[in-house]
Amino acid sequence: MAHVFVAGSDRPEKTVIRAGFMPLTDCASLVMASVLGLDDKYGIKLELSRQHSWSGMRDRLLQGEIDAAHVLYGLLYGVENGIGGAATRMAVLMNLSRNGQAVTLSRALARQGVTDLGTLAAAMRKNMRRFTFAHTFPTGNHAMFLYYWLAAGGIDPVRDAQLVTVPPSQMAVNLAAGHMDGFCAGEPWSARAQLDGSGFTAATSQDIWPDHPGKALGTTAAFADAHPHACRALVAAVLEAGRWLDESRAHRDAAAEILSSPAYVNADRRAIAVRLHGEYDNGLGRRWIEPDPLRFYAGGDACFPYLSDGMWFMTQHRRWGLLRDDVDYAAVAARVNRVGLYREAAVLSGTPAPANLLRRSVLMDGKVWDGTDPEAYVSSFPIRHVALAGV
Amino acid sequence: MLLPNISVAGPELACLLGMKPPSKVQRTLRIVVVNTVPGHAADAAALAAQARRNTALRIGLLESGYDIVASLPADIFLPERIAQIQPDMIIIDSESDARDVLEHIVIATRDEPRPIVLFTDDQTPSSMDAAIDAGVSAYIVAGLQAERVKPVLDVALMRFRREQKLMGELSDTRRQLADRKLIERAKGLLMARNKLTEEEAYQRLRSMAMNKKLRLADVAQRILDVEDLLG
Repeated sequence: MAHVFVAGSDRPEKTVIRAGFMPLTDCASLVMASVLGLDDKYGIKLELSRQHSWSGMRDRLLQGEIDAAHVLYGLLYGVENGIGGAATRMAVLMNLSRNGQAVTLSRALARQGVTDLGTLAAAMRKNMRRFTFAHTFPTGNHAMFLYYWLAAGGIDPVRDAQLVTVPPSQMAVNLAAGHMDGFCAGEPWSARAQLDGSGFTAATSQDIWPDHPGKALGTTAAFADAHPHACRALVAAVLEAGRWLDESRAHRDAAAEILSSPAYVNADRRAIAVRLHGEYDNGLGRRWIEPDPLRFYAGGDACFPYLSDGMWFMTQHRRWGLLRDDVDYAAVAARVNRVGLYREAAVLSGTPAPANLLRRSVLMDGKVWDGTDPEAYVSSFPIRHVALAGV
Repeated sequence: MLLPNISVAGPELACLLGMKPPSKVQRTLRIVVVNTVPGHAADAAALAAQARRNTALRIGLLESGYDIVASLPADIFLPERIAQIQPDMIIIDSESDARDVLEHIVIATRDEPRPIVLFTDDQTPSSMDAAIDAGVSAYIVAGLQAERVKPVLDVALMRFRREQKLMGELSDTRRQLADRKLIERAKGLLMARNKLTEEEAYQRLRSMAMNKKLRLADVAQRILDVEDLLG
């Protein structure tokens, strides 16, 4: 394989890059960059290590035990703004994926006639007990999507429900045991709950926010500042892996086979493959081909670290009181998301990159988010808890 | 919310019983150990290593004179149980996937005195003192030989007491501020109602407080309550 970038002034400051990942389908581009040897092509060597918790991943990043991570976009912004701990400057090198998460509700609810958000809201109004919903990390993507979804249905997630954090691999078993009513998590754990009959897919994350950002390739600001060449090489390698994944069904099948092994996701190959192909079955008899399932490239657009994406997580942290005060949303996103570095890596890997730093999104409730007025966006939500101390 | 308000029940109780003031009460650390549910990928060797670690930890704690209040499974009920037990310290394997559950507790109780979370790890050497100085509420215990446990807990205990003291000071400051606001509002009310100067209004509040043997803020609160009631 041709070595694109190994010598001269752009030589990576560090050739061995230790990268953490969580056992989720959307770690695919990071894993495949290593498996396909794309790291080598750009003059680095990826050393992947599977992590057991987002907290552990964060601590290892902060302590320098790993250099980069496949990590919840929202978590990085939580650390940046010191939510629940000391603030540490972080960096988003690129977006690793878009779409392909889901909200799953229990089979027991389905038996009571709950099939979607509307019927869930009605059941919650009728029922005296407090419903319990799980997500994967307090400041993370799944928490923010779950809150958004519930609130869009007129359910105040903080007042009307109990919210808990549960490791994704334990979601299905807790749902089956009746310990909770629903959860929002990444794949293959939603597909697993549907396949084993413990739950049904009430909404995909792309229903909540079409083409939403997913996991970020994150590191600390200190690492990004000290290793721009290594970071550029890393992003270029992962971009190329993302392009490979989106290229063909055969490639995704191969990836599903590799990911299913104990070293990576350690789950049933089929549970990984179906939704990777966009072949959805909600568990209530509805089957469809998702036009925009989990994507790792989408012509490069899925990977661009739009500042408006980073700002969105901060607006939701603010909405639910995780952020006590407004921050300078635009300035924080501009320093965290390393757009300049990304553009260089995009050129290096032949990836098209948009000119705009902000993009326009229309979420499930019809609200437009374009990154222009974050304070007004936060205040525009009828259900919000800006003065709340916790989650 | 289900998450714990981890408060200092001990000293409060001591006060009620007319014992020493809270700051002088020395109480033992309430320690909870979270047992990791073995991951689906865990092999026999990993399980055995974990069992060894847990045993070493328990022996170490007992030998150092620390008591384990409870040993909890890392399941969905963990937050509730922690809320009930209100431990000062939680010990969990650094590789446990239940760490995110504890993170939820840490974020939800960020304004309260909260437990220190200790991680146990076979591989990661880490400077505990530096971590504590940096203000993190978590650090790694390397090795977990019995002799390593005591110094770690001693430092943790020191930090625990310092935090308790800071929390106490913070709530004192908050109460003083709230008191001042009450007094200002009551003074304003008296001035408007009775056409008093600020000094006169204050003197009236003060003499009422002395006559009734109440705190100035309590008198102010009563005046405001009456105003609320009568409009």
